[in-house]
Amino acid sequence: MNVIHNAVAIMAPFLLAAIGGLFTELTGMLNIALEGLMLIGAFASVVFASATGSLFLGVALGIISSVLVAYLFAFVSLRLKANIFISGLATNLLASGLTVVLAFKLFGSKGVIHFPGAPVLPLVSVPALERIPILGDLFFGHNILVYLGWICLVLAAVVIYKTPFGLRIRATGHDSSTVESLGLNPQSYQLKAILVSGFTCGAAGSMLTLNLQAFVPNITAGRGWIALVVIYLGNKTPLGILIASFVFGFAISISNYAQGFMEIPADFILAFPYIITVVAMIGYSAVRHYRSQKLAMRRDR
Amino acid sequence: MQKSLKILLILAAVAVVAVAVVLIVLGRTGAEESPGSFDIGVFVPGVAAGSPLYEQLVSGAEKVASEREMVTVKVIEGGFNQGEWEEKITSIAATGEYEVILSSNPSIPFVALPVAEAFPDQKFIILDAIIESHPQMYTVLYNQVEQAAMLGFLAGLITKSDMPGATPELKLGLIAGQEYDAMLKMILPGFERGAREIDPGISVDFRVLGNWYDANKAADLANSMLDAGVDVILTICGGANQGAITAVKERGRYIVYMDSEDYDLAPGTIVGCSELRQERLVRETLEAAIEGDLDWGSNRIVNSTDDYVAFVDNHELYIKSVPEDIRDTMDSFLKDIRSGRRSYEVPKYW
Repeated sequence: MNVIHNAVAIMAPFLLAAIGGLFTELTGMLNIALEGLMLIGAFASVVFASATGSLFLGVALGIISSVLVAYLFAFVSLRLKANIFISGLATNLLASGLTVVLAFKLFGSKGVIHFPGAPVLPLVSVPALERIPILGDLFFGHNILVYLGWICLVLAAVVIYKTPFGLRIRATGHDSSTVESLGLNPQSYQLKAILVSGFTCGAAGSMLTLNLQAFVPNITAGRGWIALVVIYLGNKTPLGILIASFVFGFAISISNYAQGFMEIPADFILAFPYIITVVAMIGYSAVRHYRSQKLAMRRDR
Repeated sequence: MQKSLKILLILAAVAVVAVAVVLIVLGRTGAEESPGSFDIGVFVPGVAAGSPLYEQLVSGAEKVASEREMVTVKVIEGGFNQGEWEEKITSIAATGEYEVILSSNPSIPFVALPVAEAFPDQKFIILDAIIESHPQMYTVLYNQVEQAAMLGFLAGLITKSDMPGATPELKLGLIAGQEYDAMLKMILPGFERGAREIDPGISVDFRVLGNWYDANKAADLANSMLDAGVDVILTICGGANQGAITAVKERGRYIVYMDSEDYDLAPGTIVGCSELRQERLVRETLEAAIEGDLDWGSNRIVNSTDDYVAFVDNHELYIKSVPEDIRDTMDSFLKDIRSGRRSYEVPKYW
């Protein structure tokens, strides 16, 4: 059952980053800057948490830092009309370089920086409930940012499907001229969506460093890219993202445990989560293809 | 308008050529002004700051330069992208300025092979690595079988002990950043051998992270090992070590640490550290190269009898964290190794 418990912890950063990425995706933009935004959040949160001694301020300032970089990304992409793919890539490179430069300037190290005095993410522990099979593993004994991820997911679902703002976000992605015809500016919704991704990526990044009380260069280790895959795997819906994140987290958790008892090369076990992704992507496109064919057949009738 | 643009472009091109010529001439003048100088290019495969072994590589070379006239040192950091290392070493060799390129990493001899072929006058000193005789290279390998055996022996004593974090299972763990020859042929067998000298029933759970920086994944891996009953983990995964340390600390188990004296990182959790005396090795090797005494094309293996490989047993946190009876047993084991009464041979894997 520890496999499930660890899977929930592993999926949390993917889930948070993917929620933000979903907003930008729905406005018709491929946000490849998730990785960089997470990295900024990871660095800033542990630095500020250590400097202020406050977990809340650490997370909040980490999120604000990520939102500021997201704003820069939005400004370049939307106002200056730069290609969003290039500006996203540039944001990732900027985050990677900036965190190392700042780390060296502030702490004299380009390597691992330890923050032994930084506050630790508290666990929500209810021992009696944690013992309930599966449900206990799924819902209890995690750090507070895991729960923030779930809250964000519910909020995202409500905002996207139950509010005028969510409707306009989706309309911007479907056909921005419809939004314009209502006298609204689609770009302002794209900007807001990018800022939301800055918020969630900042929180996701906080989780990575406050867990460890340390910053390691490139600590995000591709999680922003995986979050991007999760959005597509989840069919661009909040529920789909939750399922895709769990599948990914579960595959990684299984591969961690499998190294201990499976007599197959470690390289193959390490590739297991990615093999799962490829298989899931193929399955997803097969299902979509089947559905579209079925729809076409109905239309023909 | 077009004509003035053309003139501007021509002027810019002339300026670029002029600056290039001036730089080349100045560069040559600099080299000619210091006949008999010995210039060392230190190639750090990664970044020096934060890596004890690379910090020692740089400081050793800089000490030699500060103690001797006419010796200069230029440090070039290769960054974490291994794919760029060959290109960077090539650009150092292409300057023709350095008598020696100094580096440290098991993969560097093989990265430098095509560079050596392209620049037959360029010499390389590569530590923590080994290659069969190459006339332009001198390599020195640390006996990491011995180094890992020291840690394995201590870990074996702890897993059999009644220390609070010791579990009933006789299970140790080793997390590696990646699988590579030195890991599979020296460190893992050495760790197992050291532990099995305490009890042949001790097993080592070996897991691979897949990179050197994903500290959160290292924490997840460590947790899965602790769930399986592992009580002492040797972690060798670079920047990601911190993840394993955090996970082990939270669960009240133990870490043994390679290559640097880092008890302070997690007092009470890190219970044993081994160390490589790289700075001393750098100084001695460079001195020999400057004096012309280095036997190019040869290689050498150093160990604890000559004090290049060591276990840090005089640190207050080691004394505080490890019970006296374990330290006493460890002490006599270390004495045997240092005196050569007990030895661990490096298998020929290159």
